[in-house]
Amino acid sequence: MNKFILLALFIFGMCQAADAETFKADEFMLDNGLRVVVVENHKAPLVKQMLWYQVGAVDEFRGRGGSAHLLEHILFRGTKKVSGKEFNRIMEQNGAVSNAFTGYNVTAYHQFADVSRLEVLMALEADRMQNLKISEDDFEAERKIVFQERKQVVENNPASPFGERLRQMLWGTSPYGQPITGLPEDIMALKFDETLDFYHKYYAPNNAILVLSGDIDSATARKLTEKYYGKLEKRPVEREQPEVQTEHFEQTLKMQLPKITAPKISITYLLPDHQNLVGSIYDYMVLAEFLGDGETSELYRELVLKRKTALGVSASYNYISRANTTFGISMTPDASVEFSPEKSVEDLQAALKKGMNNLTAERLEQIKRKMLADLVFTNDNPETAAYWIGYMLSLGFSLDEVQNYADRINNVTLEGVKNAFAAVEKASKVVGILLPSDEQDGGQNEE
Amino acid sequence: MKNKGWKLSILILLILLAVWAWNKYYAKIDSEAILAHSVLKDKKFTSKVQEIKADNLSAYFLEEHSNPIISVSFLFRNAGSAYEPEEKMGLIAILENMLTNGTEKYDAISFKDISEEYGIHIGFSASDDNFSGSLQMPSEYKDKAVELFTQVLYSPRFEAKYMDLTKAQLQHIIKRGKEKISVVLGNAFAETIFGDHPYGRPYIGTLETVEAVSAEDLREFMHDYFTSSNIIIGIAGDLTADEAQDLIKQMFGGLASEFNAKPLEKVELHTSGAQHNVPQTFAQAMTHFVTVGTTRKSEDFYPLYLANYIFGGSGLNSRISQVVREENGLTYGIYTTLSLKDAVQTLGGGYSATAENFGKARELLLSEWQKMADKGVTAQELQQAKQALISSHNLRFASIGGISDMLLAMQEYDLGLDFLDKRNDYIRDVTLQQVNAAARKYFKNVPDFVNVGVQETSEKEKD
Repeated sequence: MNKFILLALFIFGMCQAADAETFKADEFMLDNGLRVVVVENHKAPLVKQMLWYQVGAVDEFRGRGGSAHLLEHILFRGTKKVSGKEFNRIMEQNGAVSNAFTGYNVTAYHQFADVSRLEVLMALEADRMQNLKISEDDFEAERKIVFQERKQVVENNPASPFGERLRQMLWGTSPYGQPITGLPEDIMALKFDETLDFYHKYYAPNNAILVLSGDIDSATARKLTEKYYGKLEKRPVEREQPEVQTEHFEQTLKMQLPKITAPKISITYLLPDHQNLVGSIYDYMVLAEFLGDGETSELYRELVLKRKTALGVSASYNYISRANTTFGISMTPDASVEFSPEKSVEDLQAALKKGMNNLTAERLEQIKRKMLADLVFTNDNPETAAYWIGYMLSLGFSLDEVQNYADRINNVTLEGVKNAFAAVEKASKVVGILLPSDEQDGGQNEE
Repeated sequence: MKNKGWKLSILILLILLAVWAWNKYYAKIDSEAILAHSVLKDKKFTSKVQEIKADNLSAYFLEEHSNPIISVSFLFRNAGSAYEPEEKMGLIAILENMLTNGTEKYDAISFKDISEEYGIHIGFSASDDNFSGSLQMPSEYKDKAVELFTQVLYSPRFEAKYMDLTKAQLQHIIKRGKEKISVVLGNAFAETIFGDHPYGRPYIGTLETVEAVSAEDLREFMHDYFTSSNIIIGIAGDLTADEAQDLIKQMFGGLASEFNAKPLEKVELHTSGAQHNVPQTFAQAMTHFVTVGTTRKSEDFYPLYLANYIFGGSGLNSRISQVVREENGLTYGIYTTLSLKDAVQTLGGGYSATAENFGKARELLLSEWQKMADKGVTAQELQQAKQALISSHNLRFASIGGISDMLLAMQEYDLGLDFLDKRNDYIRDVTLQQVNAAARKYFKNVPDFVNVGVQETSEKEKD
């Protein structure tokens, strides 16, 4: 009997070992609360350093949209110890590709460089966590730059008013309904003092996650993080849970815009946050893959190849959120055949139902194989691990969740995916219809 | 006595406190000292580039076993979109797509299903000059990958229903190009600067020329342009040199060798500061500017490369970015770059800015441009640029696909098998005199501008 148990344990142990973890990774925490993850990748003498502050656009005050983003820019403008010019110069001298980004949930600062330069990167990154020192002139110059950034990245796309309006309808009064860049009038209203207050409120070691990925081992990482980040002072950070829509709604946004040349249809569903979902995020990831990822997906086969009413269609599940998650489908109708937007939306919904009827155990296994086939590539460029882990940990997932990704996908059941689809069907949603404007602009000014 | 000692210790304590506080709060970060004491020392990426040969084929190869994946990059020279018949522009874009839309053995769906299930990635793209492709795979599925790839290269199906769909999709992209300022500008720039030369053609083609392409055209193009005489190959990853040799034989051994395409006619580029405006309104205006550059093998290349790096090629630290963005906040980004096409080499750049900032940004840019021609760069700037380029050397080894692409570039520009060992010396050996001679020679030419979204009715086009 005992022997049998031992044998069973042994076999169980073997199975565990066979399901390898996603990365060679380790995690520890400094006394000041800075959470550190180290991912080893020894192909080349390189390292990616990413510092993820647990603050983003959802934490801004009303009417001060764009604060988190403007602050991100300002962190390149210098500290008590290093001027902004020097900061960028030192990064460059050390061959580092240095940048940052602001999301709804996080603000991340990152560099990719030769591993021999890591200590310099750490010294600079740790310094700007608490020593920021900028002038009002720097602030004004950076305000102008983010204003130009919004024009270039958002407004130069003629579909951007549609996208921003749709987001607002979907999220209502939640801060997720506002653009990360802030509206132009918000950007102009940002104040020097308030922006610095935002910095002092949220930039602390205990409100950040550091990911180091590359040619470094855990022991060295412990020593170096302790040396450079260990002295930073812990401070109490309170972060509010962002407000969310709770009432059920179904709305349609139909918009005609100048310069738009072809119609576009979308349906976006608002689902609970990842802790309150029916099922797990993996059920929805598999569902999105099955319905609308690539040219073998159900929707593509039905609408593009068989019925020939669309030129493209895709589905995606976005779980990068501390509040609701969203499931989205978008379609490019073939406007050269007989086209009516309402009919297009009906076709799309019918294709969803029809597609679900084709979900068999066999197809499910195929989808899983596809999702896991590329996992081996995630260990190629060390940057991939840094992004993935940073996002997941920032959303409150554990490192195990990333490490056991293959298991999580393999454990998805037919019933789980069907339940996920039922939840999507019942969810609040916004149907989006973007159309060309009636007036032909013919390439001339249309003010 | 006692009293004095007490005072002294207080004084020493105060001094220590002041030093500690100053260090903690204000002492400069000395990056050189940190580097000198760093526990992580300089390391070389040690894998060597080898040349492998098989029959009439050869490839650059880099063996790298840390992750079980393989990447093959290849490129057919003189087979890019500038070589399409003018009345069939879009042929290559259609070909890129159709190659993976079904083969003799597999219909399009089964082909894609199998590729995705094994993690095998086959993709194609083209520049004006070259047609390129890549094959990436987990090393355990090498044989499967080769099987799929040879189906693609030697037995594509070009089924009518997928031809029709691909054309409709490309025509949609062409129409939607009008929504995108970068496409509007790209097309206007090509047409204005290169005129009737094939480089002057629009992105993808026109609705009519795409419609005109047949499956027969695709087969003919492959027959004429996919040959062992104009192919270059780079392989990196988890395989041995012997296996790499087998791999190129299996993948490319079936290509014919006869290649007759004539290289493109050279472009004669002369610029004089002309402003070409495309009268369209966007939220922000955008420009590309351009003047003459130099070839990759010319003596001027590294000096000009460094001059450009300092002027506009080094991101936020570049001279123009400092002046136009950091100091004046006129744009989110401004840059310059060297472009190396077969028939023309240019020094050019671009920026976006709202209409009211646009002219001011150009004024600052041109004044910096003139300064570059007159005074060149300083010894310190050059020293810093060299250091930056040398210390970022290893970034090129980040991904296996990046490595196989680099192996291609080394062959495309004839840089030699030992390029990676010598590259830092090529940078180090450039003198201040050489950089400033190049700055004088190339920055004395004022670039021509092509602008979209600028409301400058008073400013007429200059010839």
